[in-house]
Amino acid sequence: MTIRHNLPRLLLPFVLALPALFVFVGGYTQWVIGYLYLFIIQGYVAWLLFYKTGQSFYGYSATMALGAYTCVVLQRLTNVSPALQILLGALISALLAMLFFLSTSRAKGFYAGMASFLLAILIPKLIEALYPITGGRSGVQITGLDLLLGSDNYFLLVIFFTVVIVAFIAWLINTRVGKIFTLIAENEDLAQATGINSFKYKLLAYTVAGLLSGLGGALYVNYTGSISSVDINVFTSVSIFFIPLLGSKRSLYGPLVGSMFLVLIPELFSSIERYLDILYGLSYILVMIFLPDGIIIGVGRLLARLFSKIVPPKTLGNSS
Amino acid sequence: MVLQGLITGIIIGGILSLPVMGVALIYGVTGILNYAIATIGTFGAFTTWLLLPYGLLPAILAGLLTSFVIGFGIQQFLLNPLIKKKGNDLTLFFIITFGIATIVAGLTKNFFPRPTISIELPKLGTLFIADVAVDINKVIAIAIAFSILLVMRFLEKTTKTGKSWIATSQNLKMAKLVGINVEFVYSLVSGIGCILGFIGAFFWGVLYNLTVNTGWDLCFLGYIIAIVGGIGNVWGGMISALIMGVVISFAGYWLGGMWQSVALYVILFAILIVAPKGILGSERSV
Amino acid sequence: MPPLLMEAENLTVTYGSYAALKKVNFSVFEGEIVAIVGPNGAGKTTFLETVAGLLKPKEGSLKFRDRNITKLEPFQRRKMGLMLIPQEGNLFPSMPVKENLQLGAFFENKRSTEEILNRVYRIFPKLQDRTRQLAGTLSGGEQRMLAIGMGIAANVKALMIDELSLGLAPKVVGNLLSILRDLRDETGITLILSEQSIKALDVADRVYGLEAGEIRFTEDAQQLDRDLIKSLYLGA
Ligand SMILES: Nc1ncnc2c1ncn2[C@@H]1O[C@H](COP(=O)(O)OP(=O)(O)O)[C@@H](O)[C@H]1O
Ligand SMILES: [Mg+2]
Repeated sequence: MTIRHNLPRLLLPFVLALPALFVFVGGYTQWVIGYLYLFIIQGYVAWLLFYKTGQSFYGYSATMALGAYTCVVLQRLTNVSPALQILLGALISALLAMLFFLSTSRAKGFYAGMASFLLAILIPKLIEALYPITGGRSGVQITGLDLLLGSDNYFLLVIFFTVVIVAFIAWLINTRVGKIFTLIAENEDLAQATGINSFKYKLLAYTVAGLLSGLGGALYVNYTGSISSVDINVFTSVSIFFIPLLGSKRSLYGPLVGSMFLVLIPELFSSIERYLDILYGLSYILVMIFLPDGIIIGVGRLLARLFSKIVPPKTLGNSS
Repeated sequence: MVLQGLITGIIIGGILSLPVMGVALIYGVTGILNYAIATIGTFGAFTTWLLLPYGLLPAILAGLLTSFVIGFGIQQFLLNPLIKKKGNDLTLFFIITFGIATIVAGLTKNFFPRPTISIELPKLGTLFIADVAVDINKVIAIAIAFSILLVMRFLEKTTKTGKSWIATSQNLKMAKLVGINVEFVYSLVSGIGCILGFIGAFFWGVLYNLTVNTGWDLCFLGYIIAIVGGIGNVWGGMISALIMGVVISFAGYWLGGMWQSVALYVILFAILIVAPKGILGSERSV
Repeated sequence: MPPLLMEAENLTVTYGSYAALKKVNFSVFEGEIVAIVGPNGAGKTTFLETVAGLLKPKEGSLKFRDRNITKLEPFQRRKMGLMLIPQEGNLFPSMPVKENLQLGAFFENKRSTEEILNRVYRIFPKLQDRTRQLAGTLSGGEQRMLAIGMGIAANVKALMIDELSLGLAPKVVGNLLSILRDLRDETGITLILSEQSIKALDVADRVYGLEAGEIRFTEDAQQLDRDLIKSLYLGA
C-alpha cells in the first residue's frame, strides 16, 4: 500500500536519470537534452514555491540570472575554481530570494508578485548597465565546466544535479515542513491559528527556491559557455512559471512534462522560428482554456474516457 | 538644464500616462490586469505608419480603429466567456493576457515590413519655454494626453455609457441588476483602453523610434507605473507617470542611458515595498 | 383571477455540490404582494438571485410574462420588467443619491427620469434633501430607503426586495411596508418580498414558506395558521 502509494515518487529519480543514455547519441540531440534539464530544475523550483507553497513569485529569471552571472563575474575578476563559483552563485541567489521575501513580506500576495515581476525586469537592465564586467546585451564567453570536464561529462553532471535537486524537492514536500508549505498555500490563516510560524516557513521556502534556482542558473552558464542579458529575461520567468501549469501543477511529474513540451516542441518548429512567439502565446491561451489542469491530467482524463468506452465503466470501477 | 530635464520628463511622463490610464481604466472596471494593451496599441501605431501614404488623418483613424477592434474583440470573445466560467482568477488572466500580448507582438514583427519605424508628422515649428526650445508636436502630444483624462471624466459624468462603466466598477452586482449589460461595458472599456495604448505608442513613434519591442517596454513600464499610482486609480496613475517621466529624464542626464532604467526600476521597487497599495491607493482591493 | 406573471418550475440551484434550492415551484400573479418567509439560510436570497439572473439554476425553468427567461442575462430580465433589490450591497456607494436613482431608472429617457425621480422624492422626502450626498455616507435607514427608491425608479412590472427589514427599527419597517402597499394599490406593481421576520405578512396577499431549500407551504396571508409559521422556524 505505502510502496504503491509512493511508487511515482520513488520512480521519479530513475525516470530523470534514464536520459543520461543520450550520451551515447551525442551531438545536437544530447545538447538539447542537457538544455532541457536546466529548465526542469527551474520548473520544479517554480512548482515548489508558487504552486506548493502558494507564494506569488514571478522572479525565477532573476534568481537564475544571478546564479549565472555570479559565475561570470567571479571568473572574470578572480580565479576561484568553477565549483566554488557555482556554489557562490547558488548562495548569492538564495540571499537575493531571502532579501526579497524580507522586504516584501508585509505586502499582500498580489503586490509581492508584482515586485518579483519587477525584479525579473530589473536584473537584465542591471546586467546591461554593468556591461564592462557582464558583457551586457552583446554577451560574454566563459570557460565553463563543459570545457574543463568535457561536454559529455558535464552533460552527465547536469543530469546528476537535476536528479538530486528534484529528488530533494520530492522528498521535501512529503516531510513535515513540506506539509506545512502546502497548508500555507491552502490556508495561511489556518496555519497560523494552529500555532505555525508561517513567516519562518515562507522564508525557508524562498531561500530554498533561490538556492536551487541560482544553482540551476550557474549550471546553465557553464553549459552554454556564454550568456547575455537577453538570454534570461522576464519572458524566461513567464515560461518557467508556466512549466508546472503546462505539465500539471497537481502532479509530481508536472514540471517534468511541462519542461519537455516547452523546450522540445520549439525544437521541432525551428524552421518557422519567426512565428515561434505567436505559437508560444497561443499555447499559453489554449492550455489555460482547454487543459486547465495541465497535460498530464488532461491526457489522463481523455484516456479514461476512451478506455471507459471500450470497457464499461462498471467493470472499471470494480477493478480498482 | 533643470528646466530642460523637467520638460523632457513631463513629455515622457505624459506619453507614459496614456497606457497607464488604459491599464487603470480596464482594471478599475473589469478587475482584470490586461498585459496586452500596449502591444495592441503598438500594433495600431504600426498600422498608422503603414497607411501614412494615404494621409495622416485616415491613417490615425485606421490605427485607432484597429486597436479598438482588437481590444473589444478579445474582451468580448475570449475574456468575457472566461470570466463567466472561471470568475476572476489572477494567475489565469495573467497568463492569458500575456499570451495575447505575445501573439500581438509576434504579429507586429511578422506583419509589417520593418521592425523599427518612426512616424513623421508635419513640422509645426518650435515653442520657447524660458530659453528651452520645445517641438510643437511634443506640446500637442502632452496636451492630448492630459485632455484625454478630462474627456474621460467628462464622459463619465455626462453620458449613460460613462455612467455605466463607473457603476460597473463600483458595484458589479447592482450594475447588472439595474440593467447594465456589463459584458458589453467590459468590451467597450477594453477597446478604449487599447485606444489609449495606441495614442501612447503613436506619440512614442513620433518623438522616438517605435520598434516591435516598444509594446513590451510600454507594457511593463505602464503596468508597473499603474501599480505604483494605485492600480485602478486613474489620477494616481497619471501622477506616478509624470513622476516617473521626470525620473527617467534626470536619470538619463546624470547617470547615462544604461543606468536610466535601472534607477527607474529601483525607485519603482522601493515605492512598491514602502507603499504596496500605491501612491493614492487602489480603487479595488486585490 | 389576474393573469400569471412569473413562474418557477422545479428550480434547483447548487453551490458546488450543496443544493441550496431543491425543485422549487413558485408562481406570482400580476399585482400580487407575495412574501417568502423562512429562517436564515433557507434559500430566500438564492431564490431571488436566481430569478434575477445572478445565479444560473442547475435544473428547472423560469417564466416571466409568458417567456422562458431561464437563459437570459440579468440586464435582459430587467429590461423585461423584473428587478431585484438585493439584501446588501444594493447601492453605488461613491455616487451621489441622485445618480443612484438615475441608475435605478436606467431604461428611462431623460424626461421620464425626472418625473420618476420626483415621484420617488414624494414618497421619500428625506432623499430629496440629500440628492448630492454620496450614497455610502447615508445612515442605514436612509440607505434602505434609497435602495427601495431605486426599485421604484426602475418602474418595473415586478419588484423583488430581499430582506427589506434587515437591521431596521420595527417602526421604520412598518412605514416602508405600507408605502409599498400604497405603491401597489396605485400602480399595480407586483411585489415579491423575502423576510426572515414575519412582519411582511401584514401587507402580503400570499405567503410561501421556505425551509432548507424547499417550499413547505403556500397560503393566503389572511388565513395563515400561526402554527405553520412556527413549525417553519422551529422544525416540525
Ligand atoms: N456563495 C455561497 N457559497 C456556498 N453556499 C452558499 C452561498 N450562498 C449561500 N449559501 C448557502 O446556501 C443556503 C441558502 O442561503 P441563502 O439563500 O443566503 O439563505 P437566506 O437568504 O434564506 O438566508 C445557506 O445554507 C447558505 O449557507
Ligand atoms: Mg438572505
